[in-house]
Amino acid sequence: MSIRADSININLNERPILKDVSIKINQGEVLSVIGPNGAGKTTLLKSLAGDIGPTNGEIYYDKINISEVSIQERAFTRSVMSQLQPIAFDFSVKEIIEMGWVVRGESVYASEFEDAVINVVTRCGVKDLINRNFNTLSGGEQRRIHFARTLLQLWRPSDSKDPKYLLLDEPTANLDLTYEVKLLNIVKESANDGTGVMLVLHDLNLAAKFSDKIALLDKGCIVEIGTPLEVLNSKILSEVYDIEIKVQKDPLFITYY
Amino acid sequence: MNKTLNLIGLSKLHISPIQLFKLNVFIVLCTLSFLVACINGSISIDLADVFSGEISDLTKIVLIEIRLPRVILAALVGASLGISGAALQGLFRNPLADPGLIGVSAGAALGATLVIVLGSNFLSGFMLGSFLLPFGAILGAMLVIMMLYMLTKGFGYQGVTYMLLVGIAVNAIAGVGIGILTFISTDSELRGLTFWTMGSFGGVTWPLLIPAIIIILLSVTSMMTVSRNLDLIQLGEPEAYRLGVDVKKLKYKVIISCAAAVGASVSLSGMIGFVGLVVPHLVRLFGGVNHNYLLPGSAFIGAALMITADMVSRTMIQPAELPVGLITSAIGSPFFLWLIFRIKRS
Repeated sequence: MSIRADSININLNERPILKDVSIKINQGEVLSVIGPNGAGKTTLLKSLAGDIGPTNGEIYYDKINISEVSIQERAFTRSVMSQLQPIAFDFSVKEIIEMGWVVRGESVYASEFEDAVINVVTRCGVKDLINRNFNTLSGGEQRRIHFARTLLQLWRPSDSKDPKYLLLDEPTANLDLTYEVKLLNIVKESANDGTGVMLVLHDLNLAAKFSDKIALLDKGCIVEIGTPLEVLNSKILSEVYDIEIKVQKDPLFITYY
Repeated sequence: MNKTLNLIGLSKLHISPIQLFKLNVFIVLCTLSFLVACINGSISIDLADVFSGEISDLTKIVLIEIRLPRVILAALVGASLGISGAALQGLFRNPLADPGLIGVSAGAALGATLVIVLGSNFLSGFMLGSFLLPFGAILGAMLVIMMLYMLTKGFGYQGVTYMLLVGIAVNAIAGVGIGILTFISTDSELRGLTFWTMGSFGGVTWPLLIPAIIIILLSVTSMMTVSRNLDLIQLGEPEAYRLGVDVKKLKYKVIISCAAAVGASVSLSGMIGFVGLVVPHLVRLFGGVNHNYLLPGSAFIGAALMITADMVSRTMIQPAELPVGLITSAIGSPFFLWLIFRIKRS
């Protein structure tokens, strides 16, 4: 069970953004995508989420070509958090989180709705924000709420064996140190429960600590893919980021300033 | 109530018990205003006589042929402008979207004027009777919404000011069109046009009303079925898509429903301003912003307000009648200023 891109190329406005990229998000695994600005990380996430169709190559959701997976079915399979837009009306935090309730056979599981919401709210530590107006929250708080909504979208009945995937674009942006670690711990727990996770991260140390696999992207191509130990190599990183980067192996720690 | 909610595609999960209670209050308000408007007017009718069946033939004619169609039309126009305003504000993610302000009503008016003036010359062979005027108005409304969609690049959030400017331009273009058509119209066409542009619920008859009832009820029901999706699109189009919303389909559904509801309303009552802007904001102030509550709430409050405004317009200076648009604008324009002030502050 996986989300897989097979040799995809993506051109936007006739400019190549991704070139011959093959990547796979396996269930129960955290895959982090790192790379400098403009490397194509967000485009890769968007294409795997189904937002952008590849110019060439194919994307598969568990062996089914994504073009044959309906919009609704994609929502049942994967949950995505990316750059957020302002919200025009004064929705409450609870209403925003509840927007993530996308369940196959919604009416059948209506009785589980409240428990599922309470569960994600508690898990993400946002209980004290629940009755606030979403627009009055700080950027970091808003991000935590969207993360809770993204998690709710992956709710499954206890007997379900349906695959689930979490695709997060810079989930730790605007978060303080505490919530940065808290969020990534929840991500790791989800992966341990069988969710396939893809993270786009800028912080190489967070990528080293929380990933099972890392893909290093540069100028639309995958430079390296493998375990953190294999990919986080000072020579490769220094070349890609064009600054001197030191990597300490045990424990894995990256210094770049 | 649950069964009714399910029937129109609403889920009880996304509306709170207190909001359900408020919707019931709105229904009561709407019914009360309906009854009061039916018995008040230049000839007063005793409700007890109506229920006991002891009414004179004259009163019966006044009630069934004049008062009832008029009040029903006021309710339908109020409901359709209210719910269209709420749905357009939701779709555009813009609190200032109103069928009048953004030129949709003007487009409908131009369509209707075209039918009145040119209809008799070119379309006599294809007369569709009472459907032709609403058809022209709906087409005009739809063209304007499509144009707005293209000019604001898919109703992007950043296009708030831009959209209002486009609305001003569309209103001006429609004004020019209506002016030219008025200029070239014959005496009899001019008479029809003048009565129509006054914007009134008077003079409506059952044969004119029935097609409007069908069109407006269908459009309102169609809008209600997308209320959850209108909530989700508040997160932005990409997020709504990722939550399983077919954004393109949603846009077309809202555009066509609003155009049909506003077009049918404008074709029968002329242009009535500010209802589509004010009503959704009032309903939000009363109880929340989620569309499962907002859409039906705007329909009921819109209907109640319009019935009351029409009743005031025909009873205030009897036997003369104030244009109802004057009353709605008198309430709506200060509210519009307050809204701009509030948005600026936030």
